[in-house]
Amino acid sequence: MTPGRREFLMVGGGVIATLGFPRVTLAGPGETIEMKGTARGEHVWFAPVGLAVAPGTTVRFVNRDPGNSHTATAYHPDIFDRQRRIPEQAVAWDSDFLLPGESFEVTLTVSGVYDYYCLPHEMAGMVGRILVGQPTDQGWEGAAGDSDDLEPEALAGFPRVDDIIARGRILREEYE
Amino acid sequence: MKSALTLAAIALTLSTGNALAHDEDVLQMSPPGAPYIQVSDALPLPEFIPGLGTLFVDPDTLPAGPFLAYGHDGNLSATVYMTPLEDLQSGTSYDGLAVGNHTVSSVDIYFNAGHPGVDRPHAHVVLFHDEDAKSRLAE
Repeated sequence: MTPGRREFLMVGGGVIATLGFPRVTLAGPGETIEMKGTARGEHVWFAPVGLAVAPGTTVRFVNRDPGNSHTATAYHPDIFDRQRRIPEQAVAWDSDFLLPGESFEVTLTVSGVYDYYCLPHEMAGMVGRILVGQPTDQGWEGAAGDSDDLEPEALAGFPRVDDIIARGRILREEYE
Repeated sequence: MKSALTLAAIALTLSTGNALAHDEDVLQMSPPGAPYIQVSDALPLPEFIPGLGTLFVDPDTLPAGPFLAYGHDGNLSATVYMTPLEDLQSGTSYDGLAVGNHTVSSVDIYFNAGHPGVDRPHAHVVLFHDEDAKSRLAE
């Protein structure tokens, strides 16, 4: 039901190989993440599902699914009492339900890994991961570990941090 | 005694049949009236969902429904049921569900990952009530 990591496709995001840490050109100052679904709702997903951006980037979530509503909701105790999966100093966000064509923006300033989900589709594995800055940034907070707080479908949906760093932008194989 | 019981049973059957026929007539055009409510008035979903049209449901019948699906012309085009897979696996059955119209031209059954109102993976069972129903609900 939920595509595995091997089904992620690499697109965009030029990789610059160096002798040290892999470097990628970070997107910014504005980026868009689309919420998508198949016509009958068999599959739903964020596109891209993994994204690397520079601190201060405004990310715009847009619902491109004509038959469903979606949310972009950060994993944080302040929102539905979920385990925190964004940097400690970051402000949690919740788009609330977005109908087709509606959008929501959030500006991410704190370096680290941000995991988020779609409220009605978390059990279907509709989650996403944004990297803000680079692991070498001061105060960088890496990905949260596995948790009983998450369904297996959600855990399987997060792309690996290394892959996002290497590719900059990761799209899940689409079903269209 | 037996004949009296038989007559009573026939009378009950006839009255029930009349009620069903009457109710079915009421449901053929949107809005179907109480206890049905428009799904998009109660949940964050589009007023017209491509493939399902404009949905009405009696909240007491959730999650299975029936959901009554109307086209843009207001005609009842399909009756839809939504059955969570987890419930079916755990032994829940949905029996004796009502239908919006007793004429069924075709049935589609497919998986849905979830949406507000039925936010768990479930099956959509769609009973189309005439040959053109699917096209009327398409967009």
